[in-house]
Amino acid sequence: MIAALAAGTFAIRFAGARLGQAIPTEGPMARALTALPGCLIVALVATSMLNAGWREATAGALALAVAVATRNLPATMIVGIAAIWALRQGL
Amino acid sequence: MPPLPSADGFAAGARDVLPLAFGTAVYGLAFGLLAAQAGFSPLQIGVMGVVVYAGSSQIIAVQQAGAGAGIAASVFAGLALNLRLLLITASIHDVYARQPWWKAALGAHLTADENWALLLAARARGRPVGWGYLVGGGALQMATWCGATVLGVVFAAAMPEPRALGMDFAFTAAFLAIAVSLWRGRSDLLPWAVSAAVVFGGVRLLGAPPHWMLAVGGVLGAAVAGLRRDG
Repeated sequence: MIAALAAGTFAIRFAGARLGQAIPTEGPMARALTALPGCLIVALVATSMLNAGWREATAGALALAVAVATRNLPATMIVGIAAIWALRQGL
Repeated sequence: MPPLPSADGFAAGARDVLPLAFGTAVYGLAFGLLAAQAGFSPLQIGVMGVVVYAGSSQIIAVQQAGAGAGIAASVFAGLALNLRLLLITASIHDVYARQPWWKAALGAHLTADENWALLLAARARGRPVGWGYLVGGGALQMATWCGATVLGVVFAAAMPEPRALGMDFAFTAAFLAIAVSLWRGRSDLLPWAVSAAVVFGGVRLLGAPPHWMLAVGGVLGAAVAGLRRDG
């Protein structure tokens, strides 16, 4: 898995470096490529929420609020983990 | 303060990336904790940092592998996330152009969001930066990333019962934070909604495997963004 990901990632980086101007910087393809990471991450959050109960939904909403307020990854993780832990303990 | 001839080379790149390296270290520690939970060893994660060197794709691939997605689906998810690197290296293709092949390859491999953005910013201020600056920043970033991720895996091994501590939710929280950092404004709303809806619809209504709906949802959302004129 690691070797395949490494080879593919290098191929992408090197292709950009060598093909340079041939790669469109505007138009539908460039817009789709720019939007792809965000869409994938959202799809990933969606898959992790597929079997979520109200505890997971609540902790997710809290983590999202912290992410929007702080834009800080560790802070978001800490709040998310603390929230789900507290909800599972108490309820 | 007139810059020395070498001031815009390797050392300058490393120095300029230093403030960002702190953020990378914390992010790397967090990734290490997640990777340990997904069953990866410190050695595997250290090697992965050096040979892949693309943070968010490593997170997504490790999470997918840990969730039993299989090699193909894990690699596909990671590579799809890395396609944007094509635009990043293409936008500074002149930096690699006049270099021997191994220097071009090394420079491309060490190109990430941080040193790429710093290179563009330095050029915008009229500094004659190039390959050395890019590689200097990239080398420091990679060392920081690998050190922090391995440390994270080692720490995590000392933790008891991840699920009891709510650690299984750490991935979800991490992805929420990454999503927020990728939000560029209202034009993202429709593509993101499409991605989420495709995942829920595909899994709930069609019974499709979640690991593959993840890729389908991401690609369809991006397609919507590409086809829209205002994107």
